[in-house]
Amino acid sequence: MRAVGFTCAYTPLALIHAAGLMPYRLLPTAGDHIPDQAGAILHDNLCPHVKRVLDRGLAGELPDALAGIVLMGSCDAMRRLADAWRVHRPEDPLILLDLPSTSDAADVRSLTGELDELSRTLGRWSGTPVDPGRLRESIVLYAELARLTADLARASSRGALQRWLNRTVTEPPEAVLEELRGAVLAAPGGGVPLYLFGNVLSDPAALELLEECGARIVDDDLCTGSRQLTSLEGDPGAEPLPWLSRRLLERPPCARTLEPAGPGLARRIVERARAAGARGVIAHVLKFCDPYLARLPAVRAALRGAGLPLLVLEGDCTLRSLGQQRTRIEAFVEMLS
Amino acid sequence: MILPYFENLQSGIAAKLETLGANEPRARKRFALEIARLGVRLFSPPRPGERVAWCGVLAPFDLLHAMGVTSCFAEFVGAMLASTGAVEPMLAAAEGAGYSTDCCSYHRAVTGATMQGLMPKPDFLIATSAPCTGGVAVIESLARHFERPLFVIHVPQRTDGRGVVQLADQLRRMVAFVEEQTGEPLDPARLARSMALTNQARELLVELYDLARARPGPARRRDLFNFGLVIGLLLGSEAAVEVARTYRDELNLRVERGVAGVPGERVRLLWLQNRVQFRSPLEEMLENAGAAVVVDELNSVTWEPIDADRPFEGLARRMLSIPLCGPVERRIALLQRLARDYTVDGAVNPCHWGCRQGSGARGLIERGLREVGVPVLNLEVDCVDPRSFAPGQLQTRIEAFAELLSQRGGG
Amino acid sequence: MYFLGVDIGSLSCDAVLVDEGGRPLAWSVVPTGARNVEAIAAARAQVLEQAGVAEADLGGVVSTGYGRARVEGRLAAVTEITCHARGIEAQLPGTRLLVDIGGQDSKAILLDGSGRVVEFAMNDKCAAGTGRFLEAMARALQVELTRLGELDARAAGRSLTLSSMCTVFAESEVVSLIAEGAEVPEIVNALHRAIAARTQALVRRVAPDAATLGAAMSGGVARNAGVVRAIGAALGCVLQVPPEPDTVGALGAALIARERAAS
Repeated sequence: MRAVGFTCAYTPLALIHAAGLMPYRLLPTAGDHIPDQAGAILHDNLCPHVKRVLDRGLAGELPDALAGIVLMGSCDAMRRLADAWRVHRPEDPLILLDLPSTSDAADVRSLTGELDELSRTLGRWSGTPVDPGRLRESIVLYAELARLTADLARASSRGALQRWLNRTVTEPPEAVLEELRGAVLAAPGGGVPLYLFGNVLSDPAALELLEECGARIVDDDLCTGSRQLTSLEGDPGAEPLPWLSRRLLERPPCARTLEPAGPGLARRIVERARAAGARGVIAHVLKFCDPYLARLPAVRAALRGAGLPLLVLEGDCTLRSLGQQRTRIEAFVEMLS
Repeated sequence: MILPYFENLQSGIAAKLETLGANEPRARKRFALEIARLGVRLFSPPRPGERVAWCGVLAPFDLLHAMGVTSCFAEFVGAMLASTGAVEPMLAAAEGAGYSTDCCSYHRAVTGATMQGLMPKPDFLIATSAPCTGGVAVIESLARHFERPLFVIHVPQRTDGRGVVQLADQLRRMVAFVEEQTGEPLDPARLARSMALTNQARELLVELYDLARARPGPARRRDLFNFGLVIGLLLGSEAAVEVARTYRDELNLRVERGVAGVPGERVRLLWLQNRVQFRSPLEEMLENAGAAVVVDELNSVTWEPIDADRPFEGLARRMLSIPLCGPVERRIALLQRLARDYTVDGAVNPCHWGCRQGSGARGLIERGLREVGVPVLNLEVDCVDPRSFAPGQLQTRIEAFAELLSQRGGG
Repeated sequence: MYFLGVDIGSLSCDAVLVDEGGRPLAWSVVPTGARNVEAIAAARAQVLEQAGVAEADLGGVVSTGYGRARVEGRLAAVTEITCHARGIEAQLPGTRLLVDIGGQDSKAILLDGSGRVVEFAMNDKCAAGTGRFLEAMARALQVELTRLGELDARAAGRSLTLSSMCTVFAESEVVSLIAEGAEVPEIVNALHRAIAARTQALVRRVAPDAATLGAAMSGGVARNAGVVRAIGAALGCVLQVPPEPDTVGALGAALIARERAAS
């Protein structure tokens, strides 16, 4: 089966699968041997996730049978990634999907239009057109994947969980699902219960580091964590495409999605941290990530008001950048012990 | 603090204009006067029936004007604070509250000004998802801070027919939102008038930009500084037409007489995106090196006249035509065209610190301009925060670049 | 029974010995050098010798500082944030805000008034404003590091401002100022104010209204009365400095060793 590369949790995985293609997340955790070229091609001060994905592409660290790339227009950095990829890897069929900035009914309609066009493109890439029946089946598959990983999250160590999450998006999902059904994960260790939010932190070793420092992650809001697989519970009905579109936009959003009338990131973090019984909150935010950096002060203020201490860690997707902040993490855990 | 500044500016410039001789240049002063007037309107205590909206850079200001709304993009305040030397305390206030110094200082300045109680409370806000992610976040935070309603215009990535339809549709919904806020329906006659004035101004802009292509470049050092971006705030009004006409006439005169805007022009430069807003020796350094900025990227008309019968589609097309929207290859195409039209020797890219949208494409833009034989000088600067300005380093780079261009046969 | 705290920093290894009542009996400071294992051993040996206590009489050891994982036979490795909080509470009970500026990093710690950490902020990415910065500046000014505080007191004016905070560029700037004929006390004062400005930014992250809190300063740089004054002026309060300010972390570690051994 040929793979379709993707980089964002808003990507409609079930749709890609319905076209007979395997969604393959271009995780930024490839090795240190990949040369750093993205800084020169775009700019050094850009999202490290985007830079590492671009570096992977330029180094050819991609699946052998790559049908194409689907990028989501989530933020400036992703748009620049698409621009750079088009210039430096023009041989890859590449789609940049327009992702609405908010999530009201009109946005669902507009995203549906994008997904509709995407489904035709995917069908051309694979030679297998997407029809509602196939899409419904794929939705059922990904719904179960999301459900199982969510269940596992409640009862397992984060490092172990992250290995599974990474596998769900880099290996044939049917096989992973089969294994997941029978999986028993390592239980979480003891430690101070903490809530973790932010964007990309896909290296299982990084989560293990947090646990080594005495943190027990009781819940998370990371796009490579709990947001990676959209919850797809329910019956898609006769028109699964608009249904999928609505699910994508209505699930817990990335900070780039605006909520003009909604509670906003700050309130949501406070509620979820409390619900999970966390004693404190860790934010792991990628350097130069404008959507998250812009919202941190409000998050900090809301958490202060709720009596929940916050530790902000700035990272670059590498374990090393997190390791340099070991003292902060340990001090935070000591503070809450 | 800000209102008296604009009031003094307004009266000062008005007085100066009175005393100017018939042959003395006045276009820049007319422009500055209109900006001062806008500033007074924005920062004055609200009068009954008046509405103020803080917006993203790409909001349709002429449409809002037709609905009786005084509107402005928030970054304007950052630029203004920088130009008056008052921005540092605002930046410090924002940083003290936890806003990262990695992010754009235009936005940090606005945030800081808001925290200091200097931003007037708007009636509502209109965010635009382009040009940048940071900009939309600032408008969102202003909306929360002031507890005012927010409308979000999502500018589509696609700039084709479908994109135009989607955006036009959103503009119609924006109108409905504004009508709800003001309690007044959009008057088709006012809209038609506004669009007619926009088109009139546009024609004059096209003329004046065309005149600016002459060799030597007729525009003086600060004549067209921030012009294209800020004239957008005045479109739909008589003021924009008058300002554009004054510039057109003045440039025309200078071109007829062969007068150089920058005496001793040896090297012709294209300036990308934004100028450095605070007072700096940058322009002087350029001139001392014999270099004249003959064209700014944003001083260009990229849109067709607005069709009176289909104004929303026309406005949507205009928004999508701005080079900072859509894929960067469009931006590069425009830069290549400007480089050719203005026969430039080189380009300067002031890579504003924290600008992911613009500076993020630094490498691709340099490559695109190199393809048409235009060398690019990338300057890592902060256009609003004077604290990190390093004149010595810039001097060296500018002189070296000018030398390089001269040796290639510029001037 | 005695308890030992060892603080392994980048510049020096400090050790403090306390008795069963938590009273400090002796302390030692040894340059870390390239091999911190040897420095740790030397600091340990020195402090035991000074107090006349044998290894066998030790009831527990707690290590802190960046090299805390390298101390053998420890009860625990505890971060310097927690240790400094405990240490300053012992020396200046009721302290609410601690500013610590060491060899190459600086910290601001908000305390609850009983030695527990409420919030903290660290700057460990850049040496500007730390001990290393002052060492470099003292070299550029050709004065003894220990004289900076006294020179600052002689500054007649406050007109100079340093524009660079990067250690390397600030050094160039200082050299230029000397060449232009600026007075050394004025330059020293400007340096201290620059450090204070940076420190104030760090403190504001944990305590927006520092002026109302009982504040203290620790770390080697606290020996410089000029910096202490400048930071106090910037924050709007007076910073208390305990004796031997660079051993606060080790003292805290020793006290924690005593607590943990008891439980």
